[in-house]
Amino acid sequence: MPNVNREIQELLADYAVALRDGCLPAFLKSLTREEARCIHESEEFWEATEVVRLMNSAGFGDKVVTPDVGLFISRVDAGIASRLKKGKTSTRSRNRSHASM
Amino acid sequence: MPRVFCLWRAYSGLGLSVAGDADKTEKQGTKSSGMDKRLRNALRGLTASDPDSRRRAMEPFVRLTFGMFIRHLHRYLGNEVECEDVLEDVYADIWENPSHLRDVENERHLLRTVYLYYMRKRLREVYRRMNRSLYLSQKDMQNLVAPELGLCELMSQAELKQVLHRMLGKLKARERKAIELWMQGMSNRGIANELKTTVGAVKMLEFRTILKLRKMLQEYTEED
Repeated sequence: MPNVNREIQELLADYAVALRDGCLPAFLKSLTREEARCIHESEEFWEATEVVRLMNSAGFGDKVVTPDVGLFISRVDAGIASRLKKGKTSTRSRNRSHASM
Repeated sequence: MPRVFCLWRAYSGLGLSVAGDADKTEKQGTKSSGMDKRLRNALRGLTASDPDSRRRAMEPFVRLTFGMFIRHLHRYLGNEVECEDVLEDVYADIWENPSHLRDVENERHLLRTVYLYYMRKRLREVYRRMNRSLYLSQKDMQNLVAPELGLCELMSQAELKQVLHRMLGKLKARERKAIELWMQGMSNRGIANELKTTVGAVKMLEFRTILKLRKMLQEYTEED
Protein backbone atom coordinates (compact mmCIF):
# COMPACT_ATOMS: atom_id res chain seq x y z
CA MET A 1 0.00 0.00 0.00
CA PRO A 2 2.38 2.69 -1.19
CA ASN A 3 -0.15 5.57 -1.43
CA VAL A 4 0.17 8.35 1.10
CA ASN A 5 -3.05 9.77 2.51
CA ARG A 6 -5.53 7.62 0.70
CA GLU A 7 -9.09 8.81 0.28
CA ILE A 8 -11.92 7.18 2.18
CA GLN A 9 -13.02 4.89 -0.66
CA GLU A 10 -9.43 3.71 -1.07
CA LEU A 11 -9.16 3.08 2.65
CA LEU A 12 -12.34 1.04 2.58
CA ALA A 13 -11.16 -0.97 -0.43
CA ASP A 14 -7.83 -1.67 1.29
CA TYR A 15 -9.60 -2.63 4.53
CA ALA A 16 -11.88 -4.98 2.60
CA VAL A 17 -8.96 -6.65 0.82
CA ALA A 18 -7.01 -6.95 4.09
CA LEU A 19 -9.98 -8.55 5.84
CA ARG A 20 -10.60 -10.90 2.94
CA ASP A 21 -6.96 -11.93 2.76
CA GLY A 22 -6.59 -12.24 6.55
CA CYS A 23 -3.93 -9.54 6.88
CA LEU A 24 -5.63 -6.82 8.89
CA PRO A 25 -2.42 -5.91 10.76
CA ALA A 26 -0.81 -4.88 7.46
CA PHE A 27 -3.71 -2.53 6.79
CA LEU A 28 -3.61 -1.12 10.32
CA LYS A 29 0.13 -0.52 10.11
CA SER A 30 -0.22 1.18 6.74
CA LEU A 31 -2.47 3.94 8.11
CA THR A 32 -0.95 7.40 8.35
CA ARG A 33 -2.02 9.91 11.01
CA GLU A 34 -4.11 11.76 8.42
CA GLU A 35 -5.81 8.57 7.24
CA ALA A 36 -6.58 7.52 10.81
CA ARG A 37 -8.21 10.91 11.35
CA CYS A 38 -10.12 10.55 8.08
CA ILE A 39 -11.44 7.13 9.18
CA HIS A 40 -12.40 8.47 12.59
CA GLU A 41 -14.46 11.27 11.06
CA SER A 42 -16.15 9.32 8.28
CA GLU A 43 -19.52 7.86 9.19
CA GLU A 44 -19.74 6.30 5.73
CA PHE A 45 -16.58 4.32 6.35
CA TRP A 46 -17.99 2.75 9.52
CA GLU A 47 -21.30 2.00 7.82
CA ALA A 48 -19.51 0.38 4.91
CA THR A 49 -17.33 -1.79 7.16
CA GLU A 50 -20.49 -3.52 8.43
CA VAL A 51 -21.36 -4.61 4.90
CA VAL A 52 -17.76 -5.54 4.11
CA ARG A 53 -17.78 -7.93 7.08
CA LEU A 54 -21.02 -9.48 5.87
CA MET A 55 -19.69 -9.82 2.32
CA ASN A 56 -16.51 -11.37 3.65
CA SER A 57 -18.54 -13.81 5.69
CA ALA A 58 -20.88 -14.74 2.86
CA GLY A 59 -18.08 -15.10 0.35
CA PHE A 60 -15.35 -16.75 2.40
CA GLY A 61 -16.83 -17.85 5.73
CA ASP A 62 -17.31 -21.42 4.56
CA LYS A 63 -13.60 -21.89 4.00
CA VAL A 64 -12.62 -21.44 7.63
CA VAL A 65 -13.80 -24.66 9.24
CA THR A 66 -10.94 -26.61 10.74
CA PRO A 67 -11.23 -30.29 9.81
CA ASP A 68 -9.96 -31.61 13.15
CA VAL A 69 -12.23 -30.26 15.88
CA GLY A 70 -10.88 -33.00 18.20
CA LEU A 71 -7.44 -31.39 18.13
CA PHE A 72 -8.98 -28.02 18.88
CA ILE A 73 -10.91 -29.52 21.81
CA SER A 74 -7.66 -30.80 23.30
CA ARG A 75 -6.24 -27.27 23.04
CA VAL A 76 -9.28 -25.90 24.87
CA ASP A 77 -8.97 -28.61 27.52
CA ALA A 78 -5.27 -27.84 28.00
CA GLY A 79 -6.19 -24.17 28.47
CA ILE A 80 -8.78 -25.11 31.08
CA ALA A 81 -6.31 -27.41 32.85
CA SER A 82 -3.78 -24.60 32.97
CA ARG A 83 -6.35 -22.22 34.46
CA LEU A 84 -7.34 -24.86 37.02
CA LYS A 85 -3.70 -25.30 37.97
CA LYS A 86 -3.20 -21.55 38.20
CA GLY A 87 -6.29 -21.26 40.41
CA LYS A 88 -5.04 -23.98 42.74
CA THR A 89 -1.56 -22.46 42.95
CA SER A 90 -2.91 -19.02 43.76
CA THR A 91 -5.19 -20.46 46.49
CA ARG A 92 -2.27 -22.40 47.97
CA SER A 93 0.00 -19.38 47.98
CA ARG A 94 -2.79 -17.31 49.52
CA ASN A 95 -3.24 -19.93 52.24
CA ARG A 96 0.50 -20.05 52.85
CA SER A 97 0.69 -16.29 53.22
CA HIS A 98 -2.24 -16.40 55.69
CA ALA A 99 -0.49 -19.16 57.67
CA SER A 100 2.75 -17.22 57.90
CA MET A 101 0.92 -14.27 59.42
CA MET B 1 -20.56 4.28 13.95
CA PRO B 2 -22.05 0.84 13.69
CA ARG B 3 -25.55 0.82 15.04
CA VAL B 4 -27.67 -1.95 16.41
CA PHE B 5 -30.36 -2.84 13.90
CA CYS B 6 -30.84 -6.51 14.14
CA LEU B 7 -30.69 -7.29 17.83
CA TRP B 8 -34.35 -8.01 18.16
CA ARG B 9 -33.95 -10.76 15.60
CA ALA B 10 -31.77 -12.59 18.08
CA TYR B 11 -34.82 -13.18 20.21
CA SER B 12 -37.15 -14.06 17.42
CA GLY B 13 -36.82 -17.76 18.18
CA LEU B 14 -37.05 -18.62 14.51
CA GLY B 15 -34.43 -21.31 14.98
CA LEU B 16 -32.74 -20.57 11.68
CA SER B 17 -29.93 -22.96 10.97
CA VAL B 18 -26.48 -22.27 12.32
CA ALA B 19 -23.31 -23.54 10.76
CA GLY B 20 -21.25 -26.57 11.64
CA ASP B 21 -22.36 -29.65 13.53
CA ALA B 22 -25.37 -27.86 14.95
CA ASP B 23 -26.59 -27.52 11.38
CA LYS B 24 -26.60 -31.28 10.86
CA THR B 25 -28.30 -32.06 14.12
CA GLU B 26 -30.91 -29.36 13.87
CA LYS B 27 -33.57 -31.62 12.47
CA GLN B 28 -32.80 -34.36 14.97
CA GLY B 29 -33.74 -32.64 18.16
CA THR B 30 -34.95 -29.05 17.99
CA LYS B 31 -37.69 -28.04 20.35
CA SER B 32 -40.15 -25.26 19.80
CA SER B 33 -37.63 -22.78 21.23
CA GLY B 34 -35.28 -23.57 18.32
CA MET B 35 -32.38 -25.08 20.24
CA ASP B 36 -30.76 -28.41 19.51
CA LYS B 37 -31.37 -30.95 22.28
CA ARG B 38 -27.71 -31.88 22.58
CA LEU B 39 -26.71 -28.24 22.70
CA ARG B 40 -29.27 -27.62 25.43
CA ASN B 41 -27.81 -30.52 27.46
CA ALA B 42 -24.27 -29.28 26.92
CA LEU B 43 -25.31 -25.82 28.08
CA ARG B 44 -26.90 -27.31 31.18
CA GLY B 45 -23.62 -29.07 31.97
CA LEU B 46 -21.64 -25.90 31.27
CA THR B 47 -23.60 -23.85 33.74
CA ALA B 48 -23.11 -26.38 36.58
CA SER B 49 -21.37 -25.09 39.69
CA ASP B 50 -18.75 -27.84 39.74
CA PRO B 51 -15.72 -26.95 37.53
CA ASP B 52 -15.09 -30.60 36.62
CA SER B 53 -18.65 -31.08 35.35
CA ARG B 54 -18.20 -27.91 33.31
CA ARG B 55 -14.95 -29.27 31.91
CA ARG B 56 -16.68 -32.49 30.87
CA ALA B 57 -19.51 -30.57 29.24
CA MET B 58 -17.04 -28.51 27.22
CA GLU B 59 -16.34 -31.21 24.62
CA PRO B 60 -19.90 -31.59 23.32
CA PHE B 61 -20.38 -27.83 23.56
CA VAL B 62 -17.29 -27.17 21.42
CA ARG B 63 -18.32 -29.83 18.89
CA LEU B 64 -21.76 -28.29 18.51
CA THR B 65 -20.75 -24.64 18.41
CA PHE B 66 -17.27 -24.54 16.86
CA GLY B 67 -18.47 -24.01 13.31
CA MET B 68 -20.93 -21.29 14.24
CA PHE B 69 -18.46 -19.41 16.45
CA ILE B 70 -15.45 -19.60 14.16
CA ARG B 71 -17.46 -18.37 11.18
CA HIS B 72 -18.67 -15.47 13.25
CA LEU B 73 -15.14 -14.59 14.36
CA HIS B 74 -13.95 -14.81 10.78
CA ARG B 75 -16.13 -11.80 9.99
CA TYR B 76 -13.95 -9.62 12.18
CA LEU B 77 -10.48 -11.10 11.73
CA GLY B 78 -10.49 -12.81 8.34
CA ASN B 79 -7.68 -15.05 9.52
CA GLU B 80 -8.25 -18.65 10.52
CA VAL B 81 -5.26 -18.96 12.83
CA GLU B 82 -6.18 -15.86 14.78
CA CYS B 83 -9.81 -17.00 14.92
CA GLU B 84 -8.76 -20.31 16.50
CA ASP B 85 -6.53 -18.58 19.05
CA VAL B 86 -9.32 -16.21 20.04
CA LEU B 87 -11.87 -19.00 20.18
CA GLU B 88 -9.63 -21.10 22.41
CA ASP B 89 -9.61 -18.29 24.98
CA VAL B 90 -13.33 -17.72 24.51
CA TYR B 91 -14.14 -21.33 25.43
CA ALA B 92 -11.83 -21.20 28.45
CA ASP B 93 -13.54 -17.96 29.55
CA ILE B 94 -16.92 -19.63 29.15
CA TRP B 95 -15.72 -22.52 31.32
CA GLU B 96 -14.46 -20.11 33.94
CA ASN B 97 -17.52 -17.90 34.05
CA PRO B 98 -20.55 -19.38 32.28
CA SER B 99 -23.12 -17.27 34.13
CA HIS B 100 -24.14 -15.31 31.02
CA LEU B 101 -25.23 -18.52 29.29
CA ARG B 102 -27.77 -19.48 31.92
CA ASP B 103 -30.85 -18.05 30.24
CA VAL B 104 -29.99 -18.72 26.61
CA GLU B 105 -33.15 -19.58 24.69
CA ASN B 106 -32.01 -20.40 21.17
CA GLU B 107 -28.94 -20.58 18.99
CA ARG B 108 -29.09 -16.96 17.90
CA HIS B 109 -29.41 -15.86 21.47
CA LEU B 110 -26.39 -18.05 22.26
CA LEU B 111 -24.31 -16.48 19.49
CA ARG B 112 -25.31 -12.99 20.57
CA THR B 113 -24.48 -13.68 24.22
CA VAL B 114 -21.16 -15.32 23.43
CA TYR B 115 -20.20 -12.46 21.09
CA LEU B 116 -21.13 -9.69 23.49
CA TYR B 117 -19.81 -11.20 26.72
CA TYR B 118 -16.88 -13.35 25.65
CA MET B 119 -15.73 -12.81 22.04
CA ARG B 120 -15.63 -9.03 22.05
CA LYS B 121 -13.38 -8.93 25.08
CA ARG B 122 -10.90 -11.26 23.38
CA LEU B 123 -11.19 -9.58 19.99
CA ARG B 124 -10.25 -6.26 21.58
CA GLU B 125 -7.04 -7.83 22.83
CA VAL B 126 -5.93 -9.25 19.48
CA TYR B 127 -4.25 -6.11 18.19
CA ARG B 128 -4.05 -4.17 21.47
CA ARG B 129 -0.29 -4.50 21.75
CA MET B 130 0.16 -3.46 18.15
CA ASN B 131 -2.04 -0.43 18.71
CA ARG B 132 0.75 1.36 20.61
CA SER B 133 2.55 2.01 17.36
CA LEU B 134 -0.53 2.85 15.29
CA TYR B 135 -2.22 6.13 14.51
CA LEU B 136 -5.69 4.66 14.89
CA SER B 137 -7.19 5.46 18.29
CA GLN B 138 -7.97 2.62 20.69
CA LYS B 139 -11.69 3.25 20.27
CA ASP B 140 -11.54 3.18 16.47
CA MET B 141 -9.46 0.04 16.62
CA GLN B 142 -12.11 -1.58 18.81
CA ASN B 143 -14.84 -0.49 16.43
CA LEU B 144 -12.96 -2.04 13.56
CA VAL B 145 -12.02 -5.35 15.18
CA ALA B 146 -14.67 -5.83 17.87
CA PRO B 147 -17.67 -3.68 16.92
CA GLU B 148 -21.09 -3.67 18.47
CA LEU B 149 -23.49 -6.05 16.79
CA GLY B 150 -24.59 -4.29 13.65
CA LEU B 151 -26.63 -4.89 10.57
CA CYS B 152 -27.66 -8.55 10.22
CA GLU B 153 -24.57 -9.71 12.11
CA LEU B 154 -26.42 -12.60 13.73
CA MET B 155 -27.71 -13.99 10.47
CA SER B 156 -26.66 -17.52 9.66
CA GLN B 157 -24.32 -18.06 6.74
CA ALA B 158 -27.08 -19.49 4.58
CA GLU B 159 -29.53 -16.69 5.28
CA LEU B 160 -26.87 -14.08 4.73
CA LYS B 161 -25.96 -15.52 1.35
CA GLN B 162 -29.60 -15.60 0.37
CA VAL B 163 -30.20 -11.99 1.41
CA LEU B 164 -27.04 -10.70 -0.25
CA HIS B 165 -27.89 -12.58 -3.43
CA ARG B 166 -31.30 -10.93 -3.47
CA MET B 167 -29.77 -7.48 -2.84
CA LEU B 168 -27.16 -7.96 -5.56
CA GLY B 169 -29.97 -8.69 -7.99
CA LYS B 170 -31.32 -5.19 -7.40
CA LEU B 171 -28.05 -3.46 -8.30
CA LYS B 172 -27.00 -2.14 -11.69
CA ALA B 173 -25.08 -4.66 -13.80
CA ARG B 174 -21.73 -2.90 -13.35
CA GLU B 175 -22.14 -2.55 -9.60
CA ARG B 176 -23.19 -6.17 -9.25
CA LYS B 177 -20.26 -7.39 -11.31
CA ALA B 178 -17.74 -5.41 -9.21
CA ILE B 179 -19.09 -6.88 -5.97
CA GLU B 180 -19.42 -10.40 -7.34
CA LEU B 181 -15.85 -10.36 -8.63
CA TRP B 182 -14.64 -9.04 -5.29
CA MET B 183 -16.49 -11.83 -3.51
CA GLN B 184 -14.84 -14.35 -5.81
CA GLY B 185 -11.49 -13.18 -4.46
CA MET B 186 -10.39 -11.00 -7.39
CA SER B 187 -8.04 -8.06 -6.80
CA ASN B 188 -9.12 -4.49 -7.53
CA ARG B 189 -6.73 -4.41 -10.48
CA GLY B 190 -8.31 -7.59 -11.83
CA ILE B 191 -11.78 -6.09 -11.42
CA ALA B 192 -10.61 -2.90 -13.15
CA ASN B 193 -9.33 -4.94 -16.11
CA GLU B 194 -12.58 -6.84 -16.24
CA LEU B 195 -14.67 -3.66 -16.17
CA LYS B 196 -12.22 -1.84 -18.47
CA THR B 197 -11.64 1.00 -16.06
CA THR B 198 -9.06 2.23 -13.54
CA VAL B 199 -8.35 0.86 -10.06
CA GLY B 200 -9.39 4.20 -8.55
CA ALA B 201 -12.74 4.05 -10.33
CA VAL B 202 -13.27 0.49 -9.10
CA LYS B 203 -12.60 1.52 -5.50
CA MET B 204 -15.09 4.36 -5.80
CA LEU B 205 -17.65 2.05 -7.45
CA GLU B 206 -17.21 -0.50 -4.67
CA PHE B 207 -17.55 2.13 -1.96
CA ARG B 208 -20.76 3.58 -3.42
CA THR B 209 -22.19 0.11 -4.06
CA ILE B 210 -21.40 -1.08 -0.54
CA LEU B 211 -23.21 1.96 0.88
CA LYS B 212 -26.12 1.22 -1.43
CA LEU B 213 -26.17 -2.39 -0.23
CA ARG B 214 -26.15 -1.20 3.36
CA LYS B 215 -29.20 0.95 2.73
CA MET B 216 -30.96 -2.04 1.17
CA LEU B 217 -30.03 -4.30 4.08
CA GLN B 218 -31.25 -1.69 6.53
CA GLU B 219 -34.59 -1.51 4.73
CA TYR B 220 -34.75 -5.31 4.67
CA THR B 221 -34.21 -5.61 8.42
CA GLU B 222 -36.71 -2.85 9.15
CA GLU B 223 -39.33 -4.51 6.91
CA ASP B 224 -38.73 -7.87 8.53
